[in-house]
Amino acid sequence: MRTLTQPGTPSLPRRVVRPIAEGRSLRVRLPAGADLLTGLTGALVAQGVTDAGVQLLGGDFASMQYLTGQPDHTGQRVATYGAPTTLEGPVRLIGGNCILGRDAKGAPLLHCHAVVADRAGGIHGGHLPAGVCILGAAGATAMVTVLGTAGFQVAYDAETNYDIFQPVPGPAREAAH
Amino acid sequence: MEKRVDAAFEAEFEDGRFGRLAAIRLKPNQDLVEGVEGAAAEAGIACGVVRAAVGSLVDAALGYGEGEGASVVTVEGPGIEILTLAGELRPDAEGRPRAFLQGTISDSDAKVYGGEFLRGANPICITLELVLQEWIPDSAA
Repeated sequence: MRTLTQPGTPSLPRRVVRPIAEGRSLRVRLPAGADLLTGLTGALVAQGVTDAGVQLLGGDFASMQYLTGQPDHTGQRVATYGAPTTLEGPVRLIGGNCILGRDAKGAPLLHCHAVVADRAGGIHGGHLPAGVCILGAAGATAMVTVLGTAGFQVAYDAETNYDIFQPVPGPAREAAH
Repeated sequence: MEKRVDAAFEAEFEDGRFGRLAAIRLKPNQDLVEGVEGAAAEAGIACGVVRAAVGSLVDAALGYGEGEGASVVTVEGPGIEILTLAGELRPDAEGRPRAFLQGTISDSDAKVYGGEFLRGANPICITLELVLQEWIPDSAA
């Protein structure tokens, strides 16, 4: 198994695990015209959900973008994102996973990867950016696993030189002022 | 664990319910399958399911089938995105969680692959953000 030398020193522990005694599940459906990421984030935060794991069950897009990874030849990181690819609808959402947490200042943030099929049946997928994945006539449905007493918050990770989600303990924090 | 078997369909049923959760991050250069197992063990979850996961791999090795006729596809990164991750953890003979994981990935040319993530051959690149949930069979109560 190949490993890569990251730009920063490996930090311990090599995994972060925050147990949560119990959680509830929610099915959510977003309507046509909504942006998948901002719509899902807004709907969940309005329900008081700040931290969750999300399984995308299906839906379609009127238009959407995705980014895929590639080696970072600057040496600042081992991998980075390439330019976005735009797909015009109808595009079918085949599946996807998201993590809902908070950015470094406490504002809601959704990290989403998904697989989609274009109108010719071609399969695509990658990291979905917020604000540019507009749902089509079918909207989208998702199963949400609500995290009650722990969650994810962005922090700078010197090892990878990325701001990334870290599991954090404690009850859900208030949004940024 | 106790199972109900439908004789006509030879289908196994296991009654149960969801239990505890864990919010997890796996750091770079550890194997996806073994990393998920280690995190589940630390969370005290020997039997469970992946509820959501977002992350990336250095390289990927995806498997298809078992024994004669089985095949493996390797995809070279870095920059492989894990698009979907699904699967479960089941306790082995010693009660330790053993992960069975499959999903889809995209490579640096934006080509999408899917298959079973093979043990010891899928190193985490930047991170894996993971939500696991315990599955509690009624027979274990």
